[in-house]
Amino acid sequence: MSGPNEDNNTQLSSHIFGDLLDSIIVDVASECHRIAKLGLDRNLEEEEEEMRLSAQARARVADPSNSSETNTKYVVDIFGQTHPSVATEIFECMNCGRSIAAGRFAPHLEKCMGKVIPISSYHISICLYLSIMIDSYYDREFCAIP
Amino acid sequence: MCARNSIYTNPKPCKHLADYKLRHGFNTYDSIRNCLKTTPNRRTRVAKHTTKIPRCSFCDRYQGRLYFCLMCSSLWCPTHILLHTQSEKGHEVAIDMDRSELYCCLCCDQVYDPDFDKIVLCNQVKDLPGGSKSKTNRFEASGERSSKRKRLDSGIGLDLKKSKLLVSMRDRRAKSCYPLGLRGLNNLGSTCFMNSVLQALLHAPPLRNYFLNDRHNSVQCRKRSGEKLCLLCDIDAISSAMFSGDRTPYTPAHFLYSWWQHSSNLASYEEQDAHEFFISVLDGIHEKESKIRNSGKDDGNCQCIAHRAFSGLLRSDVTCISCGFTSTTYDPCVDISLNMDTSNLSSSNANKPIKPDEKTSASTLSGCLNLFTRAERLGSDQKLHCQNCQELRDSSKQLSIRRLPLVLCLHIKRVEHSLVRKISRKINQYMQFPFSLDMTPYLSSSIVRSKFGNRIFTFEYDNSNSSAAYEIFAVIAHSGMLESGHYVTYLRLKNQWYKCDDAWISEVDEGIVRASQCYMLFYVQKLLYNKANEDSSFVRISPSRDPFESTAGCS
Repeated sequence: MSGPNEDNNTQLSSHIFGDLLDSIIVDVASECHRIAKLGLDRNLEEEEEEMRLSAQARARVADPSNSSETNTKYVVDIFGQTHPSVATEIFECMNCGRSIAAGRFAPHLEKCMGKVIPISSYHISICLYLSIMIDSYYDREFCAIP
Repeated sequence: MCARNSIYTNPKPCKHLADYKLRHGFNTYDSIRNCLKTTPNRRTRVAKHTTKIPRCSFCDRYQGRLYFCLMCSSLWCPTHILLHTQSEKGHEVAIDMDRSELYCCLCCDQVYDPDFDKIVLCNQVKDLPGGSKSKTNRFEASGERSSKRKRLDSGIGLDLKKSKLLVSMRDRRAKSCYPLGLRGLNNLGSTCFMNSVLQALLHAPPLRNYFLNDRHNSVQCRKRSGEKLCLLCDIDAISSAMFSGDRTPYTPAHFLYSWWQHSSNLASYEEQDAHEFFISVLDGIHEKESKIRNSGKDDGNCQCIAHRAFSGLLRSDVTCISCGFTSTTYDPCVDISLNMDTSNLSSSNANKPIKPDEKTSASTLSGCLNLFTRAERLGSDQKLHCQNCQELRDSSKQLSIRRLPLVLCLHIKRVEHSLVRKISRKINQYMQFPFSLDMTPYLSSSIVRSKFGNRIFTFEYDNSNSSAAYEIFAVIAHSGMLESGHYVTYLRLKNQWYKCDDAWISEVDEGIVRASQCYMLFYVQKLLYNKANEDSSFVRISPSRDPFESTAGCS
């Protein structure tokens, strides 16, 4: 089947591979040795502690027997107050002077300032453009959409 | 006992290395001084024998590691080097030829010496294109250190002497068992993105102090600029309201009005992105300030409160793969946007309960920061022109932080675009983040040092470690889908966490914060954080304004 030459070649290639692997392992070991001896990885313990606390926290939140604070509907806040789901404080719109409830101020102001954007493909493409802009913000100067 | 400076530990030499150095003084490393050769990827080798293949003097082996005896320049493989040391007295120290690391044959361990590292570094700098003229490669001999200390305060500590009207409030109505400044914000119609960012901004120590110190006086501002539109005036009004002691939720209507006039492109009644809003507000503050000061200063040196608090400097190194030439550029930034560090983005995993020891595909903040500062090989379709080779070459790019800001805003990019299907999706994967963050490994000094093999030397602008230590003070968390989710802010005041969900303020355990799905993280330098915790028992009362007047909608 495989002649002596092929055996030799296989042996040779695994030998070379072994050498390369050894060399890489020594490289990593040597680098880590230096980092450890020079104290460049000092914060390992603190990092591990933070990881442990996070894992613990997640386990507690995921445990259904815990009364999860995030899921309970609010009854009173820490000052003993309750708030309706739509803010009811009334004030005057600074654009047109009408009396508006706070929770409906934004939609009112939008119409009031003449900025109604109909739901359309233009609207959707703006949303997509905005999310791409968020992504590439770092790569270029911030500029307003014309 | 190790001599310890703030960056690294100067390791104590083993007895044998110390003896060796004593015996040879300045000539210790003479034998190899001219035998070092550095390749473009900054790897330094001992290359004395350029014609012959280096072989072990005992067994003739040429494969694997070889050691170069410092005394007699003979070569030995790891198995037989001990023979040499035992037969020849004084030949205890050798060099790993492949990596240029010192090796003590009697201790059988790698050892370190700043003088040796200096020689290696000199060689690296000499061999790399650009040489010692290149600013990238400049460094000082170890032992000398720059005595520049960054002024931590930049004049924005809470100045108790200047704020003459500081009074300690004992008003029961202020419910003073809770920290001042804690107050809900009414949702004006899908404006939780705005409320969450405002909560974080108003409690950022530099901004909080800026407004409490009355640094932006609305009356003077209006007189000066004559414009009715000033984001800073509006934020100042919100800040006064938040710190007034009144705990009923505040309506930031006037701010919304001003902001929409400033960022008309973003003015619409629908859920916006909190990060985008954050950038827009900082931009608005900066614009106004630079108009006042009439300065065309670039963001790097701008003195507006937004930049003083948030502005940092990023360094970008682009290295030619072929010759090692590096070109460096600096760019200012007000935040850092991080890609998530895991490729396991299947959203079906997001809601499964996690066992505490499950470590597969976990995403962490340090992982994201490592990804951010990793040397990235640019694709061959992105070849850049190398000044040294005078040709287009493959290159690698690496980012690092040259100067850290006072307040560090980290934005976690949770949007995933599928270019094929032309849709965007939110990444719900949990990301672990610490409450105490050490940014040292991501500084330019650390990154550049590691590029040079972590040799012992003092980088020209090493900062003392204290200014790289941060404490978290706000987390903006997002829940729900991409375009119809909800933002809340968790605030850390005097080591107690509060959840700010529009008008609802509640106390939460720190575990809830740790387990939340973070979107934006706000850290402040540790010294400022500690100071801020001490200062927050005071409130400012302005004589010209009744802090209890509800100012929604009034100009």
